[in-house]
Amino acid sequence: MESGICLNSAMANSAKCHGMSRRAFLGGTAAFAGAPLFGAAPQGDKTEESVLQNAPWETVFGDATPAVLVRRLYLDLAGRIPTVEEAKSFVRSRNRKGLVDKLLASDSFADYWSMRFCDILRVKSEFPINLWPNAVYVYHRRIREFVKKDEPWTAFTRALLSATGSDFRDAEANFFRASALRTPEGLAEAATVTFLGENYADLSEKKRAEYAKYFRRVRIKNTREWKEEIVYLDPSQDGPTPAAFAEYLFGPARDKFAAAFVQRVDWWMLGLAKPDPAHVAIFRKNGFRLKPLVRAIAMSKAYGRGSVTGGFPCRRLDAEVLDDMICDLTDTKRDYQSIAPEPFTFLPKDRRSILIEDGSISNAFLLLFGRPARDTGLLSERHNEITAKQRLYLFNSGKLFRMLGRITDNKAFRARPLRTIVQDLYWRFLSRPATFDEEEMLLTFFQALPKGGGARWRFSKDVAWSLMNTREFLYQH
Amino acid sequence: MAAKSVIELWLWGGPSQLETFDPKPDASPDYNNGLKAIDTVVPGMKVHEWWPNLAKCANLCSFIRTMTHPHFGHETATYLMQTGRSPGGGIVYPAIGAVMAMMRAKTYSGDLPPYVILTNAKGRFSEVGFLGDKYAPLVTGGNPNQPKFVVDGIVPPGGLTKEEIGVRFDLLSRMDTFGRNEAFADFLTAGKEARRIIEGSAAATFDLSQETDAMRDRYGRTWIGQSLLAARRLVEYGVPYITVNMGGWDSHKRHFETMKQRTADTDKAVSAFLCDLNERKLLDKTILWVSGEFGRTTKIDRNPPWNGGRNHYPRCFSALVAGGGFRGGCVVGESDETASKVVKRPVTPVDFLGSIYELCGIDPDGQMPNNVGKKLTVLPPASSEGRLREIYA
Repeated sequence: MESGICLNSAMANSAKCHGMSRRAFLGGTAAFAGAPLFGAAPQGDKTEESVLQNAPWETVFGDATPAVLVRRLYLDLAGRIPTVEEAKSFVRSRNRKGLVDKLLASDSFADYWSMRFCDILRVKSEFPINLWPNAVYVYHRRIREFVKKDEPWTAFTRALLSATGSDFRDAEANFFRASALRTPEGLAEAATVTFLGENYADLSEKKRAEYAKYFRRVRIKNTREWKEEIVYLDPSQDGPTPAAFAEYLFGPARDKFAAAFVQRVDWWMLGLAKPDPAHVAIFRKNGFRLKPLVRAIAMSKAYGRGSVTGGFPCRRLDAEVLDDMICDLTDTKRDYQSIAPEPFTFLPKDRRSILIEDGSISNAFLLLFGRPARDTGLLSERHNEITAKQRLYLFNSGKLFRMLGRITDNKAFRARPLRTIVQDLYWRFLSRPATFDEEEMLLTFFQALPKGGGARWRFSKDVAWSLMNTREFLYQH
Repeated sequence: MAAKSVIELWLWGGPSQLETFDPKPDASPDYNNGLKAIDTVVPGMKVHEWWPNLAKCANLCSFIRTMTHPHFGHETATYLMQTGRSPGGGIVYPAIGAVMAMMRAKTYSGDLPPYVILTNAKGRFSEVGFLGDKYAPLVTGGNPNQPKFVVDGIVPPGGLTKEEIGVRFDLLSRMDTFGRNEAFADFLTAGKEARRIIEGSAAATFDLSQETDAMRDRYGRTWIGQSLLAARRLVEYGVPYITVNMGGWDSHKRHFETMKQRTADTDKAVSAFLCDLNERKLLDKTILWVSGEFGRTTKIDRNPPWNGGRNHYPRCFSALVAGGGFRGGCVVGESDETASKVVKRPVTPVDFLGSIYELCGIDPDGQMPNNVGKKLTVLPPASSEGRLREIYA
């Protein structure tokens, strides 16, 4: 274990996790060819948009352009790309702080980040975690409240570790139920990974025994209500309680406790394999709250770097985020599989994927793109590498082909000049205008297509298809 | 010679051992519902009366009648039967199909992914475990028993021709200019692999219309029949591991009505598959295994709400193996008079999976490469009774 903060040793090899070379990941200046790198500097009589048409991704200083930054911020803070209006508005205003504050206060932030914390806290109905549906919804709502209200992680940790009661009514009591093994060792394992970022199995035998003793008194019993369970402390026993473990976390283990939390945020936002000590300090100074930490990172110079030469780490988008983006762009409803577990759950078809509370409910797209199983709570459970099967699906799926037709196959869309159509599609998919070069290339490409056949008719759909298959669309960059 | 391909016919839900490969015609109707066993072409090897076609080719397959493990829940039992492990320990193991995909990565050179599932994933746990998506199965979706078996992503959409697809890829290569550097090596490799499938001949493997009507009828015009026909085509292509996930065996209620239909379709499909593979001289290098996560309670539950059902039962259940170095016409193990208890030669999931690995030339006690920084073996140690060496050819 490289960092002492174990999120699985795959984490230590973070560059690989992101499907990129370590050099590029760490911000080396990789060779780059074939695209307009250094555009003209902004001039008084030019609009922001036309500057972007020369250099869409990066400024001469290696910083992200406003178009890249707005997309990046929406993806990290709202779990989606901006709409055309939202993107254009930011390109005009460039009010980064205003946008960060707006997004942090939005419901989307709570939706997306509660998904992430539900990954960590293993929120799923069935196997190997058995929360069962009712408890999943109660627990999810509580976790979303923690994010929305920006409760201190210390207070929430204490609540999770000292809760008792019914899984239906006492949401926090589900922390203990969300463990594959409900033995003292199993509960210690869950608590260790969650709060200290350490893999229990890798600890010394002495340490394991020391941690397990905090959980010896935890009991879980059935009630006469179907799938209701009560968490309680065995009154016939003496000795330490899980609440004392919380005090241990805030006392002797406070450095690790803070670092483990920051580690995740740094991983999610910057792809860092180890927590940045400066971020840990910010987290502690702000009362162990999430939002000030996210705000500080989102406003930092490192976060605003370009990804071409600036070293911002590119990573394939989360399965849920990608699913939502494609469904939003094509105005398509979703199809969730929820044959199990009972009682059966029926999600409305307009439910966003990032809002699926239950890790046991999924669909073929989410499985294909590596949504985490929520079995262990390790960050490495989410698979963000790109595979041939994924690219095959994006290239060739009949379902996606029909979905793209919902954008392009209508009269009003096609009645406009080709140049306008191209610009429209670039804004929708990539949150930026097509560059002058791109626009010329596409118009020339169109002119070379045979007249009268299906090729010209299909052209705008093929452009949409191509945009969906670009790295620029599929990656956070 | 090691087996080249494995077909797993997974009977999701847990099929009853009594109405499959361990019939008990002499037990009371409380157990067998008055149903009989029939003779097969192999003297002394009986099968339930609902398997008349399999009876004619029982020389090609063997029955394991003493599969046993302690888990009564679908997921835990499936996890054990697929990975050889019980859940827990902060680590999620990959299913046998994903392990096989990894182990065969160097020797398998086909364009199709090395692990294919017809037609839907088990879905309730991650099959790749810690291995990551590279070894995840290609899940076909679609229905092979439709006039056209549409595997979304394999067949070009909207009737696009090869030329039209070429134009599209040309367009994409001109548009996808972002970050043309080493950071995206995996992206480009994945794209090349995907394009080989689209532009090459691999997609035709799923085109069942290339089979004669007589052949399609032989397997049965059912989902399972046509799925096994597609599986045979994948074997011919060289895919190392193919899973056919067949649901509908969790017969708590309406057990006998359900079983009669399921077994009729499965009997026809499995026997056609075995005979067809044998005629094509492929059976020697192809393993077929058929099992669910457990069997079912042997005393029929006639009380409401079950009204003639059978419930989960893992202590003694049956499996079928054939080909790839397994001898046919054998019966392993012996259960008691109601198929409730193992009397002789228990076979654990670890022993069972270990036999399949071993016949594929993979040492079950050998190291399993992993990205979790641990020293792991492919399987835990086999039981004292050991792997199924008594039926190795």
